Amino acid sequence: MKTENQKAWLFVLPVLLLVAFNALIPIMTVVNYSVQETFGNNVFFWQGLDWFEQILRSDRFHAALGRQFMFTFLILIIEVPLGIIIALSMPRQGMWVPVCLVLMALPMLIPWNVVGAMWNIFTLPDIGLLGYLMNHTLGITYDMTQDPLAAWITIVTMDVWHWTSLVVLLSYAGLVSIPDAYYQAAKIDGASPWKVFRYIQLPKMKTVLTIAILLRFMDSFNIYTEPFVLTGGGPGNSTTLLSIDLVKIALGQFDLGPAAAMSLIYFAITLLVSWLFYTLMTKDDAE
Amino acid sequence: MTRLLYFTLPLWAGSASAQGWGNVAKKEEETGFSWTAPLWPSFWMAWTPATFALFCGIFGAIAIIGLLEVFKYRDGIERRGILGLTTTLGDRLFISLLGSAYIFLAWLGLVGQPLWWPLGISIAWGLFCFRKV
Repeated sequence: MKTENQKAWLFVLPVLLLVAFNALIPIMTVVNYSVQETFGNNVFFWQGLDWFEQILRSDRFHAALGRQFMFTFLILIIEVPLGIIIALSMPRQGMWVPVCLVLMALPMLIPWNVVGAMWNIFTLPDIGLLGYLMNHTLGITYDMTQDPLAAWITIVTMDVWHWTSLVVLLSYAGLVSIPDAYYQAAKIDGASPWKVFRYIQLPKMKTVLTIAILLRFMDSFNIYTEPFVLTGGGPGNSTTLLSIDLVKIALGQFDLGPAAAMSLIYFAITLLVSWLFYTLMTKDDAE
Repeated sequence: MTRLLYFTLPLWAGSASAQGWGNVAKKEEETGFSWTAPLWPSFWMAWTPATFALFCGIFGAIAIIGLLEVFKYRDGIERRGILGLTTTLGDRLFISLLGSAYIFLAWLGLVGQPLWWPLGISIAWGLFCFRKV
């Protein structure tokens, strides 16, 4: 007979409380803000769903959303294949394993605002190493403070530098967990390296890659600090991603109502994409 | 024609006064409960009865589904629906709520207020989720 034991709930309780305080209560407040107007001093006026209508129809929101999807798409399409390639070429045993792992982990240990400041100094056209080299030694015009394309190249490169390691480490963990017997069987069958990758390594990495892509999607879709420190959303609005725009509306203009509505729409998008992605990736396992 | 005005003007004024014209500067009287007025004006979370009811509804639905899963449909609650997804009751609630949010947002963005139509579509979507998905 199965024993009935509900004690596990007690162990979950602290986490539930924590989630209530750092997620539920703020999001309930945001929902309250999104249907009201305030001029400060804790006085609120009912506004209905006007803010949602206004945000959904504003060109500014559409543009920021477009840039956000563009950014996430670009970094995913670069980081995931690059991460897999690096993980595949890392040694599986020997003294170079810890060296590689530490080197890979280093970028992720650096705080986000420091990453932004580093890349800012690194790429400034007159004093930065890269900026100076490009403009004055190689003669290639590269100025991320003036040219939108250069700014985009810089923020994408920065994110690739910062976060490819995550994909690498997760893929590597998936790779080393494959027993040797699989490779031996493939060798006996005379499988090509591509087939080994396609039918042995990739399926075995699927779970960790799902997590890696999910994490990278959510992180890059919610990214704020690095582009804010690096370009501040400029030049013009060319790198004003959704979160930067949101902070501008909420704190710069103190339009709490529209900002709350915008963040709920933002939240709904993140939730839907994450759910879709997770469901599609785990669908086959459930069958 | 002028005579007609003489007779009807007082009537207009009377009806305007009956509609509350001329009371603009007066303080609005307390009419009692309002769904859209602040619920606890001195509290920081800016609750209104409307948003409070919304969250009561969501948490109530989660609680009911949790109780159903624990007591009534223990095990064997999962099933494969027409979308090819294996879903539990909680999954179906999540899909209905998220779908409804998108139905309302899409309607707001493309058509605008009022929102009776998307309310109907959302209820239909919820029923569809719980029966078929």
